[in-house]
Amino acid sequence: MKKAPLVAIPLVLFSLLVIFLFKGLFSDPRELDSQVQDKTLPAFSLPDLMQPDVTYTPDDLKGKVTILNVWGVWCVTCAVEMPYLTQLKNEQDVHIVGLYFDQDLDPDFGTKTLSRVQQEVTEMLSRYGNPYAYNIFDVYRDTSLDLGVTGAPEHFVIDADGIIRMHHVGDINERVWNSKVGPLYKKLVAEASGNEGEQKEVDVEAVMSNNMNAQEGE
Amino acid sequence: MLAKNVMHYSYVPVNANVAIESKKSRTINNAILKSTVLNILVFMFVLSVFTVNAAEDKFSFDTPAQRESFLTLTAELRCPMCQNQNIADSDAMIAHDMRRKVYALLKQGKSEQEVIDFMKSRYGDFVHYQPPVTAATLWLWAGPVLFIFIALIVVVRRKSIAPPVDMAAKLAKADEMLEREKE
Repeated sequence: MKKAPLVAIPLVLFSLLVIFLFKGLFSDPRELDSQVQDKTLPAFSLPDLMQPDVTYTPDDLKGKVTILNVWGVWCVTCAVEMPYLTQLKNEQDVHIVGLYFDQDLDPDFGTKTLSRVQQEVTEMLSRYGNPYAYNIFDVYRDTSLDLGVTGAPEHFVIDADGIIRMHHVGDINERVWNSKVGPLYKKLVAEASGNEGEQKEVDVEAVMSNNMNAQEGE
Repeated sequence: MLAKNVMHYSYVPVNANVAIESKKSRTINNAILKSTVLNILVFMFVLSVFTVNAAEDKFSFDTPAQRESFLTLTAELRCPMCQNQNIADSDAMIAHDMRRKVYALLKQGKSEQEVIDFMKSRYGDFVHYQPPVTAATLWLWAGPVLFIFIALIVVVRRKSIAPPVDMAAKLAKADEMLEREKE
């Protein structure tokens, strides 16, 4: 009887190893902790993609809950999610701003002209729908780098105070919207409108109860 | 980068040997072979020149030390997209951008540590191949030491303590049996 605990040690160690490795099967090595979570947007001053005379700064994104969508015409997944984003914009009035960057490998020696880029963007938006309130053109991809973007599409949920509340890597589809991005967006919108006045809080409750019904329906 | 370079140089003597052997055995094809080998050599040389500059692209540096820093940093920083490559090796767009950023920061007179911190503040500890010691990563260092320590204790205890206990018990048992025999 005295030796039983000693015999158990390798078994316990082995079980722990199995649990550790089993968990590893389901871990995504590409999932990185975002460094911009709960921080304000990094400073930038970038032109509008379609009207280069217009310049945007982080202040332009304040006052309204925004989903900043990092995308490009060369990105296939962006094209896939675009109809759904457009649907969100039309049906739920979601405020989506594009952060556009081109894949031309070196902006300093890029061969593409701005008008060519604009033409491609217009073509793509007319084909898949335009979910964007406007597009910010990240010419040198510096802002993407500051945001810790590794590719496209990526999304940042920014609250009314200009603080990044969520960094979502990958596309937004119905499942992602309902389980991850949507609830936070609605909560932030509710908070923002709650600050404005009493009257809108009723809407919030209506939205919430709608959510409850939807969940029960599922 | 260096490895690729060395490879190209090591190919050169191999081709040279082929040239010498062909001279000895076949005189007719000599001229043709010679020109082919020469072509290959020229091609290799051109190729090696290109590979030397691949990681540096079109970057030019103020001082050799700055160039050295750039090469060290691009080798130490990890590409967030192709996760098992450093940014010097990776051809992903993000790696291009990060190389450009490293270069720009060095040109601004930033130190190597400052560049690493800059990248870490954007892409996390993940981006640097040297992990920092934190509560979560401490086990990387403590684990092996702890294992050796525990193993040593177990070995020492088994050797020194176990036999005497057994012997004492056996002696007691033997004594008991002797006693019984006497009765």
